[in-house]
Amino acid sequence: MSVNISNRSFRPYTGEKARITRAYDYLILVLALFLFIGAFHLHFALTVGDWDFWVDWKDRQWWPLVTPLMGITFPAAVQAVMWEKFRLPMGATLCVTALLIGTWIARIFAYHYWNYFPINMVLPATMLPGALVLDAILMLSNSLTITAIFGGAAFALLFYPSNWPIIGMFHVPVEYGNAQLSIADLFGFEYIRTGMPEYLRIIERGTLRTYGQYATPLSAFCSALLCTLMYTLWWHIGKWFATVRYLNKI
Amino acid sequence: MKTLIIKCLMALGLVLSVYSFNVQPVMAHGEKALEPFIRMRTIQFYDVEWDKQKFNVNEQVSVSGKFHVAEDWPVSVPKPEASFLNISTPGPVLIRTERYLNGKPFMNSVALQPGGDYTFKIVLKGRLPGRYHIHPFFNLKDAGQVMGPGVWLEIAGASANFTNSVKTINGELVDMETYGLSNGILWHIFWGVLATAWLLWWVRRPLFIARYRMLQAGMEDELVTLNDRLIGKSILIGVPVLVLAANMMTVNQYPNTIPLQASLDQILPLSAQVNAGVVDVETLKAEYRIPNRAMMFTLKINNRSDKQIQIGEFSTANVHFLNKELHVPSQVGSESMTAPEGLSMDNTAPIQPGEQRTMTITATDALWESEKLDGLVRDADSRIGGLLFFYDEHLGERFISSITAAVIPKFN
Repeated sequence: MSVNISNRSFRPYTGEKARITRAYDYLILVLALFLFIGAFHLHFALTVGDWDFWVDWKDRQWWPLVTPLMGITFPAAVQAVMWEKFRLPMGATLCVTALLIGTWIARIFAYHYWNYFPINMVLPATMLPGALVLDAILMLSNSLTITAIFGGAAFALLFYPSNWPIIGMFHVPVEYGNAQLSIADLFGFEYIRTGMPEYLRIIERGTLRTYGQYATPLSAFCSALLCTLMYTLWWHIGKWFATVRYLNKI
Repeated sequence: MKTLIIKCLMALGLVLSVYSFNVQPVMAHGEKALEPFIRMRTIQFYDVEWDKQKFNVNEQVSVSGKFHVAEDWPVSVPKPEASFLNISTPGPVLIRTERYLNGKPFMNSVALQPGGDYTFKIVLKGRLPGRYHIHPFFNLKDAGQVMGPGVWLEIAGASANFTNSVKTINGELVDMETYGLSNGILWHIFWGVLATAWLLWWVRRPLFIARYRMLQAGMEDELVTLNDRLIGKSILIGVPVLVLAANMMTVNQYPNTIPLQASLDQILPLSAQVNAGVVDVETLKAEYRIPNRAMMFTLKINNRSDKQIQIGEFSTANVHFLNKELHVPSQVGSESMTAPEGLSMDNTAPIQPGEQRTMTITATDALWESEKLDGLVRDADSRIGGLLFFYDEHLGERFISSITAAVIPKFN
């Protein structure tokens, strides 16, 4: 049965009570970390997939569009729970950190040790700068609308520039086989992937064209617009699934 | 109940341990999984050769050969407008350093023309020691993988000795095995440290129960303090500034970068090697006798050459049926895909220059079944395709014709 507490009646826990609630905190945190490592990693692998797996998929048009759009989902849902129920503005950072832990484990053990790919070919992207800003905007604004518009947009807009220091050097050109390739393309040519022919890559295809040869800003702003909508959708999904029923019984 | 659970677990353990004694390495890549009509009527490989099958780490090996793109391309398979000449390997145990189609290097996918003839060559370099079953093959967009003949390669040496250096257009020599790795790890650690600091900032305080109770009690202002807000503002300003500064630094460090390249290579076929107009073959009928594992073709052959010719071989989906009377050389190293006495004919007399003859040839062997080509009779598209090799009397000159027909099954 839930307990109604009148305003300003709560006193911080002390002694054994404080120790037990702290143990509960750590228990939930560890469980949440493993849950997000598994669930967010799976979600990310199924939606962003090859765009994040391979250096020769990280193009300037679809990668910055798809990755933040799929990457803002879990952070929005977890923020909804952690902020609304606990005023903890760390949902996005926690989710993306968990994702990166899972991703790095997979890249090292599954891709490198199991399938022999060099790790530099499968370096993951980072969304941590966007997640930090998303958390900060939620805390400062305490508003779903403002966080969705400005936080969602920042999450998308910061993605490409925060990853360019990691992948920029892979876009240095190489003359190879009478053609111009980036080093990233050369990875795809040299390091054989039986089930990944070159034509499967989605590089600047479709009607999302460049504007005066500037593809990335166009994609980033398109992603920013979509992220504001995706953020709101997943905030409500998180809110819908979350319950504090068990907490009320404590 | 507890005893029952323990017994069940022990039984499960016993069953699993039996499996562990019988673990076999994988010997194939699903090359027989693709429907027979696709394997027989898309890319028809022949004359495929490896220059060696035993070599060391860092040593180069090449595979070269020819293929004919079937004219009778299956209607359910998209035309080969984007195809990728690949190598089936268990991961990059070799790296691909060069690849040629009709003598021209190509890096991307390529459009092939049905009816076209091509030569190919792929140069590989040993990376990880071991024994591997390798095929050249084509990834066909929206169709699958059509395998060429496979061989076993043995790579000796130590993987630690592998090197792969590439020179950029600016003249910088880079090691592909480690290029950009420490830089990538550094940036991940940098942002990871900031994120961890932010998480620890909150985790160091009582979290769920206490904060929930305080929020319920209307003590929100104590949950997010002035210091928290100050740090939040620092993040809001500091993180984008850091991102843009790091981005600018990278742009300045690597001013000449290019986007990923994704063009489709265009390489025209050779002049006709198959159906070159010297020996014309028309398939009148094809009949598959299931109990005998025998494919019988009725062919109308027109020898326009000035030499007498004989049929030496019928080849389809990398299976070779040889006419034992002719002693033609086997095309592949692997004997298991060749039926050395598999081809017989109702009239063994050479076909004279200018002669037009209707004859029956029969390709018989268990390979129809073991290679899962007999499944054709249960396919929606039950047409067969393959290459017929004619030789002159000295086995010096060869004429190749492609044949194709609907297959009529004979169940008894």
